[in-house]
Amino acid sequence: MRNSQPESPVSSISTRLPGAHAAAPLTHLFESLRPDLLRFAHWLARDRAIAEDIVQESLLRAWRSRDALKEPGAARAWLLTIVRREHARLYERKRLELVPLEDVVDTQASPRLAEPDGDLFTLRHAIMRLPLEYREPLVLQIVGGFSTEEIARELALSPTTVLTRLFRARNKLRVICGVAAAPDVSDEGAP
Amino acid sequence: MRCEEARLQIGAEPGSATPVLEEHVQSCPPCRQFREEMRTLDANIRRALEQPLESVRSPAMGGARTRARGPAVAWRQWALAASVTLATVAMLALWLLRPAESLARDVVAHVRDEPESWLATQHVDAAGIAKALHGAGVELNITSDKITYAHSCWFRGHYVPHLVVQTAHGPVTVLILRHESVSRRHEFHEAGMTGVIVPDGTGSLAVLARGGGNVDDIAAQMQQDVHWLPQGT
Repeated sequence: MRNSQPESPVSSISTRLPGAHAAAPLTHLFESLRPDLLRFAHWLARDRAIAEDIVQESLLRAWRSRDALKEPGAARAWLLTIVRREHARLYERKRLELVPLEDVVDTQASPRLAEPDGDLFTLRHAIMRLPLEYREPLVLQIVGGFSTEEIARELALSPTTVLTRLFRARNKLRVICGVAAAPDVSDEGAP
Repeated sequence: MRCEEARLQIGAEPGSATPVLEEHVQSCPPCRQFREEMRTLDANIRRALEQPLESVRSPAMGGARTRARGPAVAWRQWALAASVTLATVAMLALWLLRPAESLARDVVAHVRDEPESWLATQHVDAAGIAKALHGAGVELNITSDKITYAHSCWFRGHYVPHLVVQTAHGPVTVLILRHESVSRRHEFHEAGMTGVIVPDGTGSLAVLARGGGNVDDIAAQMQQDVHWLPQGT
């Protein structure tokens, strides 16, 4: 299944479904957002191939429920939400084969070739190593552009818990960047 | 607003600027500095997260495309010859560079496997240091309040002391490698780390810092602080 459909899922759908030509603007919109979705899925899944599968599946789901999208301006947030849920569903549905993170980072991005900036590489590596509970809200906030309240709704957490997780995520990265850790906040949900 | 609340908000949303937070930050220099640091960090996190993903496909797909093009026989022969030549040169280079290069690679890989070692801020007590040094055949002159990480790690078939020492330039990793002798100093830069392996005692010392820290000074200091005990002690 993985990598078995190299063509764009959106364009392939538009040629398969009857009446799809009428929705060409929507397919173009989806297609234009694909790089963002792929980047988002990649940071969640930490694997390029899995991220492509997630985006493929998400776009299919989005297409099937396209009537739910009332405003084209809301498409990005709507699709990112679908990607996040598809990622969560993937991990619920099956226990994925685990690959050492070193292998993923080394083989996928060739970071030392692509990034002469060692600090940036260190930071990317550190983000990859963050536990999902910290990485997910951080990626939702920075890549997805979601507010704390939106992240809280999406993750079914309290806004204070989201703030705490975002704080701790940055605090961990801060230390890895060579800056002293800030004193931790007391407990999740109780600043 | 208390400092803890301000820092939680700054750490979670470095770009936020509510009136209450602004009022606090204006009257609290440490929180103001914390916000500046977090905004700088956040810009780098953003750069790291938003960097375009590579467009390279997996080797399996690349191989499939190559096969589909059906290269000419003559081209395959030249390619085969070139591959053999390249492989020979690569083997020769590997053989020439092997000891220090591969040791450096293993050291970097080991340190990357223990990223939490950089995060420790509490100093290790004397018992913890003694445990890390157990069986390594060395004594340390260094004061324990500078060591924030001390473990005995399995490395190349032996347990070796893995220390993180706090210096004026930040944390520095030191591996004491009794069983790895090198003939001369070897410097390396890999994975955002700068390191040096120097001969010392009956083995060697590997010293690594993140970024471009001056590891030679620390290596020289460690050469003074590490005392090698006779074999078998």
